[in-house]
Amino acid sequence: MNLPHYNYFTTDFREYEFYSEGPKGKIRKIVRFQQLQNEPEIYNLAFGDKNPETGEVSDSITSNNNDRDIVLATVANTINNFCDYYGNHFIYATGSTPVRTRLYQIEINGILNEISIDFDIYGVIGGVPHPFEKNVNYEAFLIKRK
Amino acid sequence: MSATKKVNSNISYGGRAIVVDNLQSHENDPFFVKKVEEAKIAVAKLKLPGTEKK
Repeated sequence: MNLPHYNYFTTDFREYEFYSEGPKGKIRKIVRFQQLQNEPEIYNLAFGDKNPETGEVSDSITSNNNDRDIVLATVANTINNFCDYYGNHFIYATGSTPVRTRLYQIEINGILNEISIDFDIYGVIGGVPHPFEKNVNYEAFLIKRK
Repeated sequence: MSATKKVNSNISYGGRAIVVDNLQSHENDPFFVKKVEEAKIAVAKLKLPGTEKK
């Protein structure tokens, strides 16, 4: 995967930080992987914006920083780094609302050809993962590095 | 005067994390705690690819 991405930082390879840069300025983003279960191991991928004033993390804000492809490519790269360190396990991700999940889906569509080289991507409907297809609405996503 | 192109030094290629030793952990941040609790419920019902019982 060779998409442009933001420089991103980690201490333990479970949590990553980077700064989105655009018309709205610099926005601190936090990406975190947390284990959900064993056998098979599944990790949750969550990410959000860190409010510099309150310290709160949220994914309900639309940043409008005109860099969503770069942000998504950065998150995809953190998955690669996480897998390098912890192994190729299933990674589960969903949005905070159906609208947000749909937005993620559109973003995945945009770089699907590139990220499909490294990852199997599934969309979840009714608790059942299906190979990701464009123009299908999913409840969540399941990702596993090949 | 020659034109100069502004380069964003925050963007790179190649996918290597920069390892630092002082990143604040958000393991117990309410946002991430809530995300994990919600995801555990959803994942418990998932039929994972490649794990179907025969």
